[in-house]
Amino acid sequence: MSLAHETLASLRRRLSSKEIHSRDIVKDLLTEIGAREKTVHAFTHIDEKAALAAAEKADSSLPLGGIPIALKDNLNALGDPCTCSSKILEGYRAPYDATAVARLRHAGAVFLGRTNMDEFAMGSSTENSALGVTRNPWDPTRIPGGSSGGSAAAVAGRLAIAALGSDTGGSIRQPAALCGCVGLKPTYGRISRYGLVAFASSLDQIGPLTRTVEDSAILLSALAGHDPRDNTTDLRKPETFLAKPTGSVKGLRVGLPKEYFLPGMNAETEAAIRSASQWFEKNGATLVEVSLPHTPAAIAVYYILATAEASANLARFDGVRYGRRAVDPKDLLDLYQRTRSEGFGPEVKRRIILGTFVLSQGYADAYYRKAQKVRGLLRQDFELAFTKCDLLLTPTSPEPAFPLGERTQDPLKMYLADVFTISTNLAGNGAISLPCGFTKSNLPIGLQLIGPRFGEEKMLQAAHAYEQAHDFWKRMPPV
Amino acid sequence: MSSSANWEAVIGLEVHVQLHTQTKMFCGCINQYGGAANSQVCPVCLGMPGSLPVPNEEAIRKTILTGLMFGCRIAPVARFDRKNYFYPDMPKNYQISQFEDPLCAGGTVGLDPFLFPKDLQDTDEAKAKRSIRLTRIHLEEDVAKSFHYEERSGIDFNRAGTPLMEIVSEADLRTPGEAFAFLGSLRQVLLSGNVSSADMEKGQMRCDVNVSVRRVGQKEFGTKVELKNLNSISGVRRALVYEIARQIAAVEKGEAIQHETRRWDDEAGATFTMRTKEKAHDYRYFPEPDLLPVRTDQGLRAAAETGLPELPAALQDRLMKENGVTAYQASVLAADRALCAYYEKAAAGTKHKAGVANWILNDFLATQPDPTTTPVRPEYFGELATLVAEGGINSAQAKKVFAELMANPSSPKALVEKLGLAQISDVGALEAFCDEAIAANPRSVEDYRSGKSNAINALKGFVMKKSQGKANPTQVDEILKAKLSA
Amino acid sequence: MSAPKLNVTDVAVLARLSLTPDETTKFTAQLSQILAHMETLGQIPTGDVPEVVPPAQPVLRKDIPTPSLSVEATLSNAPAQSNDLILVPKIVE
Repeated sequence: MSLAHETLASLRRRLSSKEIHSRDIVKDLLTEIGAREKTVHAFTHIDEKAALAAAEKADSSLPLGGIPIALKDNLNALGDPCTCSSKILEGYRAPYDATAVARLRHAGAVFLGRTNMDEFAMGSSTENSALGVTRNPWDPTRIPGGSSGGSAAAVAGRLAIAALGSDTGGSIRQPAALCGCVGLKPTYGRISRYGLVAFASSLDQIGPLTRTVEDSAILLSALAGHDPRDNTTDLRKPETFLAKPTGSVKGLRVGLPKEYFLPGMNAETEAAIRSASQWFEKNGATLVEVSLPHTPAAIAVYYILATAEASANLARFDGVRYGRRAVDPKDLLDLYQRTRSEGFGPEVKRRIILGTFVLSQGYADAYYRKAQKVRGLLRQDFELAFTKCDLLLTPTSPEPAFPLGERTQDPLKMYLADVFTISTNLAGNGAISLPCGFTKSNLPIGLQLIGPRFGEEKMLQAAHAYEQAHDFWKRMPPV
Repeated sequence: MSSSANWEAVIGLEVHVQLHTQTKMFCGCINQYGGAANSQVCPVCLGMPGSLPVPNEEAIRKTILTGLMFGCRIAPVARFDRKNYFYPDMPKNYQISQFEDPLCAGGTVGLDPFLFPKDLQDTDEAKAKRSIRLTRIHLEEDVAKSFHYEERSGIDFNRAGTPLMEIVSEADLRTPGEAFAFLGSLRQVLLSGNVSSADMEKGQMRCDVNVSVRRVGQKEFGTKVELKNLNSISGVRRALVYEIARQIAAVEKGEAIQHETRRWDDEAGATFTMRTKEKAHDYRYFPEPDLLPVRTDQGLRAAAETGLPELPAALQDRLMKENGVTAYQASVLAADRALCAYYEKAAAGTKHKAGVANWILNDFLATQPDPTTTPVRPEYFGELATLVAEGGINSAQAKKVFAELMANPSSPKALVEKLGLAQISDVGALEAFCDEAIAANPRSVEDYRSGKSNAINALKGFVMKKSQGKANPTQVDEILKAKLSA
Repeated sequence: MSAPKLNVTDVAVLARLSLTPDETTKFTAQLSQILAHMETLGQIPTGDVPEVVPPAQPVLRKDIPTPSLSVEATLSNAPAQSNDLILVPKIVE
């Protein structure tokens, strides 16, 4: 069997026993990529030579020694492009390593390539990429989800063992759900954002996309911990997650937020989630109905705060110090306007305009400041819910992968698809998505478990127990 | 008929001060002027994608210290905000600044009469010793330096991201002289706390001025004009004198004052329109999400308090009361901490502390010394003052000793020996000189006795000549008078 | 709070974007719809809710220099440069 089909945990064991070499994995992955990348288009950039050279030198005694990992194309890695799937970063070469990248490097990982994404992580379908759309390995006529669609498609399609993504409103979990892999968004402050090209600073988190929960825990252990370069990282000591899997959910109080189970939701998704919650109950967990009353406001709050922060974060792309610059600008204003208008795609422009507007004089109180206050209420909702339960169980996405092109002209409908994932970014909690079933047409369905802030261990234990009792994660996509 | 006496100006200042730190505000690049272009930059201060700011503790401490020195309220929790506008000298196209919760609010700056321009020090406005209220002091990052060519501009980002403190005054100032004294006072205090070198001519302190005029007694403010390109404290004064006169003349002619920014041209001695403020900037301030709020109440304020220097006003008081120096001397010493430290070392070794001040502030200062490196040890001035006051040498001799001290620094006592200047204070020897003088100048003796008291000077001169200037003049005077009235 | 008339053109100037007439029309329609959705926030009472305050735990940087980038590394990303300066069209105040 191709090594491309194995889990990170398994490869790690075989590498450290010297049964296999890192180059074997990279070669197998490149074979798979050669066969299917044309269809899936998960990557924006693959440097075969560099990956093979790094594999040759890999030190298998290190925690991730020789494990190939794909990076979302919004993470800086010294000397590499970092396009954010945008034309505006054409020609840019990162002058430094993101902390997450440096930690993986330090742990011995080998970098395979850069994965496609919605431009600047703005989107839920990876259709907003200036470098082409990524297709879902389960059905290439459908989107892989987004914005970390390239990472999810690569992992699900066996083109990568594991990948890093970033999640601002569901950008790791939703594509993981739609592609049938495991996506973890850690608690805000758990992993350093230094070197992650910012979309919305108060919401962004880096996280792993993997085949299994165990693989997710391995990467989280390598990535987590305070970084003096990121003022918002938490100070708690590093820990090894899922060091001793219990395989049990006995005694666990699982909360079902009633606002996440509404009439009219996709029937197959609802059935899969109900069946998952029944599994928890059958195996000794208690189901508790809880309420997150401000959930209906979450989309509005999110799109105000995220776009406001983005409008400032993306101001630096002006053609002055790096990236694309408009040809022959007649003056400074022309340089700015043409560089940005030519460099950014429509969704990015739309969000910059929205974010600029909600901060502008006369409107900031009604939009930006109001949204900050409602965000406080949302956070309180979660705090209150976690006094009644240990974890929340919800769908990750209201529906399975939709067809390419279906929503590109209706941004509001696209935004509403984030309804189950964005609240956790607003509240700062960690959450994980893992496969919990398939539709009749063989599209994956994702289950989301949300933990209290910095409650990743409990969340990973429960997810692992559920995953190992099922074989959804073993299924192979047809592409 | 009207005259400027019917008008008053209303002036507010916004002063930017470069902080003395090793590194920039939000990254570890060095904070130093004069490096090769774009050699002191990193992903953070270049606004590279993905980089994040981390605040410099020392810059925050120095800002709190400044607030403490001016009696500001220190915010227990301060925040940074983003100020959004596009400009090529600002890498991120937003500046990390403070808007809602600055580190310091309130406070006052006292106007010391000696900090007014010399020609105004005797006026009522200088003697009023007004206190000017501060609105706030906040911390932000500086922008890059631009160089302008024919068709393009070139940018050196070395200065980008260096810590910059903004001190904003209330519109309490009324005259160019007060603005001058305000800036002088700021500078003195900033120097005393080692917060900044605060030299306007080097751009370490930069000042924007808002000025309007109104009729005396009128409550409403006039339309304000902002002045830029002010590169010295005296330049601020000159610009204000010009601008206030311009505004009064305009209003008297019935013209409306434009709400605009004007540029001071120091050579032309005039202000010129730079841009009109039709559209106010919309900076879209919002809390900087990359930074947590700064708690000053968990050690930062306490750390700043340990660095509190003796403030200029307190120092002046002490020097006048304890050392007997004049108010003017005290103000000069307070304005120059290095010189003051030198003086205090010199004065420590003698009772005659006022005399030491005279030597240092008149004679020594005239040689433009650097008190931190001069080979003339401060103790020498203590010795010199003692020698003069306690009769070792007279003042003419002391001047010679001083000249020698500058040329070949060593102990004044030794110099007195070397120059053969030891004063004759032995009564027997002096009486002999006096007797000789009386015998040799019968005419003068007669004149003196007949009431011409000046005649004694000829006798003194004789003694000094005979003694080669070494006779103690006070003693000679006493002996002669005794002998002549006998 | 009633739905404001969003002037996309004015906002685009603030954001240094120049939009085509097509984009302007499209964005106006799309963003108006989105803003209308956001109006729902106005109905949520937030009178006594303080704005979100992240935990105040300052991890500040000690004032100790760290290495800068080399001039070459800095300039290698710059679209236009001369004499180690990064060039832009002339800045006119």
